[in-house]
Amino acid sequence: MPRSSGVHRLHPLTKLTITASLLVAGLVLPGAWGTYALFGLVLLPLALWGKVWQEMLRLSWRVALPFAISVFLIQGFLWPGGTPLFFLGPFSLKSEGLQFALASTGRILIVVSSFIWFALTTRPDTLMTALVQRGLPASLAYTIVATIQIVPRFQARAATIIDAQRSRGLETEGNMLRRAHAVVPLVVPLILSSLVDVEERALAIEARAFNHPGLKTSLAEIAEARWEPALRWAVLMAILGVLAFRLWFEFRF
Amino acid sequence: MSRLRQDFTTLTWVMIPVAIAINIALGQVIYTLKIPLYLDSIGTILVGVLAGPWAGALTGLLSNLIWGMTGLNVAYAPFAAVGAVIGLLAGLFSEAGWVRAWWKAIVAGLITGLIAAVISAPISAYVFGGVTGAGTDVVTAFFRSIGFGILPSSFAQGVSSDPLDKAISFLVVWLIVQALPMRFLARFPRAESVQK
Repeated sequence: MPRSSGVHRLHPLTKLTITASLLVAGLVLPGAWGTYALFGLVLLPLALWGKVWQEMLRLSWRVALPFAISVFLIQGFLWPGGTPLFFLGPFSLKSEGLQFALASTGRILIVVSSFIWFALTTRPDTLMTALVQRGLPASLAYTIVATIQIVPRFQARAATIIDAQRSRGLETEGNMLRRAHAVVPLVVPLILSSLVDVEERALAIEARAFNHPGLKTSLAEIAEARWEPALRWAVLMAILGVLAFRLWFEFRF
Repeated sequence: MSRLRQDFTTLTWVMIPVAIAINIALGQVIYTLKIPLYLDSIGTILVGVLAGPWAGALTGLLSNLIWGMTGLNVAYAPFAAVGAVIGLLAGLFSEAGWVRAWWKAIVAGLITGLIAAVISAPISAYVFGGVTGAGTDVVTAFFRSIGFGILPSSFAQGVSSDPLDKAISFLVVWLIVQALPMRFLARFPRAESVQK
């Protein structure tokens, strides 16, 4: 999402380091509340700085809510044994289950929103250019950028095929068996039609020196503030600190 | 090593993005049909079959990571390892000649689905508290209510959907391979494993 913010101007590698560290921290922080603190004290300020906090909250809410509901219902109420907190008909909310559900929801929140924060503030093509400059094989970078470019086109093609088959009388609604019958007439044309242009694409990129072993220069320059490498190291050190804390927490007894 | 280099031809590199886009677009088509399947690894399996296990593994890995990194389906990213294993297995089964006959492809899919369920259960249990936020959580709820642990319940949920899903995916890939013109098929590095 294009915005002019400090986060958007950061070098993509810096943002990648931050995101990876948030993921690691979210997964290793012990207890139920660490992840919520991480969200409130680190991720939310980062989103505010990137001017994407509204989008991030909206998208994270949409993705994380079904998980949160499921985890509270299933692990909170169906926890075998455990200390009941209150009863709801034949079921009861167990305190162990509630603890577990809170911890899981925190983890889900961090995983989901750090990916969303990264996606909202980083252009995939600049990320790939940056990674190629650091030694990522160009063919791999091509694959990733090409994927991101063709996905919307494929989604449109899928919609066209659904409409076309419907107009020929294919039933895509009704009972389960009827909907299951629609799978092959939708799936096979989509795949076959997309394979058609694979060969053409291969020829096109070969004609543009895809296999050429020499150094390729890039038109796009990626700006980097002078303090950014230091920031990346600091973030990596912080994550080592979190890992050490987790180890201490596990073995202190 | 040389086999690896032979597998990653230009055609393979071009095929991988198309396969990932197939995964994503098909996943959505199936979602709109509201049937209890995912069919979101057909592209991965196709690459594994036509370009070998390593290309398949890379497709599966990138597929889940790109889903996450672009914000399309963030919850899939932690399962990148599962995607990689599906692609790897598709390549190995095809190498063993299992995608030449439709019934063998179904068996290969069932086994792949079982292994996928084994790997995704601990990820789901740790990252997502053992739930999927979808209809198959009924299975998890049932196993939890009769006293099973979080990991076994999550595994039971996987076994209830993954083998069938992957069996159908392998069958669709078999259908696709039958429908592709010989001239096109022959350009892929592993064409010999699917040709009769």
